[in-house]
Amino acid sequence: MTDNSSINRPLGTRVVAWGVLLLITLWAVLPILWSLSASFKTPLTLYTGGFLPDDPTFDNYRRVLTSDGFPNYMMNSLFLALVSTAITLFVSVLAAYGFARYAFRWRHILLLFILIPRILPRASLIIPLYDLVESLNLLDTYTVLIITYTATAVPMATWILIGFFQAVPKELEEAAAIDGASIWQRIWKVVVPISLPGMVTAGILSLREAWNEFPFVLAFTTSSDMRTLPYQLFLMRDSMGITDWPLINAFTITTIVPILFLYLLFERQIVNGLTSGAVK
Amino acid sequence: MATIVEGSLRDKITMRMTPYVLLFPAIAIVAGVLGYAVVRGIIMSFFQIEVWEAEEPFVGLANYRTLFRSPGFQNSLLISLIFVGATIVIGLLMSLVHALVLNQIAFARSVFRAIALIPYLVSGVAAAVMWRFLFTGDAAIATQISAALGGSTVSWLADPDKALMVITMANVWFIAPFATLILLGGLQTIDPEMYAAAEIDGAGSWQKFVHITIPSIVPMLSLALMWLSFASFNMFDIILPLTGGGPGRSTEVLAVYMYQLAFRDLNYSTGAAVMIVILIINIALSAIFLRAAGRSRDDR
Repeated sequence: MTDNSSINRPLGTRVVAWGVLLLITLWAVLPILWSLSASFKTPLTLYTGGFLPDDPTFDNYRRVLTSDGFPNYMMNSLFLALVSTAITLFVSVLAAYGFARYAFRWRHILLLFILIPRILPRASLIIPLYDLVESLNLLDTYTVLIITYTATAVPMATWILIGFFQAVPKELEEAAAIDGASIWQRIWKVVVPISLPGMVTAGILSLREAWNEFPFVLAFTTSSDMRTLPYQLFLMRDSMGITDWPLINAFTITTIVPILFLYLLFERQIVNGLTSGAVK
Repeated sequence: MATIVEGSLRDKITMRMTPYVLLFPAIAIVAGVLGYAVVRGIIMSFFQIEVWEAEEPFVGLANYRTLFRSPGFQNSLLISLIFVGATIVIGLLMSLVHALVLNQIAFARSVFRAIALIPYLVSGVAAAVMWRFLFTGDAAIATQISAALGGSTVSWLADPDKALMVITMANVWFIAPFATLILLGGLQTIDPEMYAAAEIDGAGSWQKFVHITIPSIVPMLSLALMWLSFASFNMFDIILPLTGGGPGRSTEVLAVYMYQLAFRDLNYSTGAAVMIVILIINIALSAIFLRAAGRSRDDR
């Protein structure tokens, strides 16, 4: 929309804009590139050769992937992310439809349940929840992580979906209703398919939340069987003795690649989904 | 006749109940977990809870009094204020500049936009570990650069002031991209004709920026401010893996202090009191920002 204005700008302004942009972009990727570069080095060559390793080795990745427990941590992370995202999407679709299509008495009050959690810091919830989780014998279980991950992901997902559902023309649903579609069918067969970009955005953000989550898994699990990738990375980062940075960097890169891959695949939907959600 | 009335009545009730039924699962899980935690946290902060004692006597505000007198808390509050203040200033400037230049360019804009958000997708722990790698040890790249420039060769994370700078930089790196996205969203809604009209009136770039750009994105600016201050005020994931609160207590922000109090010192009730202090500050911040934004934009 505003593209046209940039074309007739003076050359000087454009050079400065590009310079600044390249600088900030470099800042955003530099820590990741530095870590990526180190993941192909050995402890001896760690600080030599700059960004391009002289003699790149895949040994660190081999050690990460074949290390004890890695498949377990990976499966834990994957399982928790997928299950909590599936539940989040299901619950959020219903709630978002309710908010988007109905005017009802307690709407504003109930909307607060979607808005207030944004200012509730995750780390501060662990003290009171720890007490409850302990008394319910749910420490070290998938159940507690799935429930807490879902609870923290639902508000954001619902908020994003409300915007998308409101944009679905009511006429489409009315036509489906005349054909005898129940409300259940209208939600899942009409509204959701049309709002696919919103579903993708909400879904990937929920995956991100669960995949990257740290305080809950730190507080609510103790057994190594329950560890997720971020938790293991946290433990690795401060091992006794000499820190094996190439190995740690290979582990770091391994944990961030899946979510970055998903993000880059659906970048357009996510950025548009987030922007329209934020601007509303 | 009667059946029709009955039918429509039933329909009416069904219609009325539908939104509540749809909302129930979401509200139940959010209220059940988050709502419970808040209420329970408030209650906990008024009792003396000892791990090895069965009795939990009501102590009123005693936990809060202990807290406000404790040097550890005062230190954390100060560290948090510096950390949040610095992040807001640097983060807002950076994300505004970033959004402005992204909005300026026409070539490969979507590529740069995609890269801009990458730090937001990385986990806090991974971000912290990458930043730790940049700054840990005598051979770390940051130490080498500082030594080459004639500065100190001491590891940045071993120096209290520099460690605070490092967590602030890591935090800006981690959370500013989302603010950039918010601001970019705002910039894209500005009607180009407004600039064209201003140009006809002879306005320069700076005047256009001050009189058109900034006023048009005030709501997004306050949203970005809100994001930056909440995210940094509650930041935990970055700090614990990066410095663990140290060296000493030089990077022990409130969230980390609270965690250590509860899970290292097993002092749950004072930890809960810190939680309530954090919540109250969050609520106060959002009230200020919403007022500054002029109106609540929650439900349109």
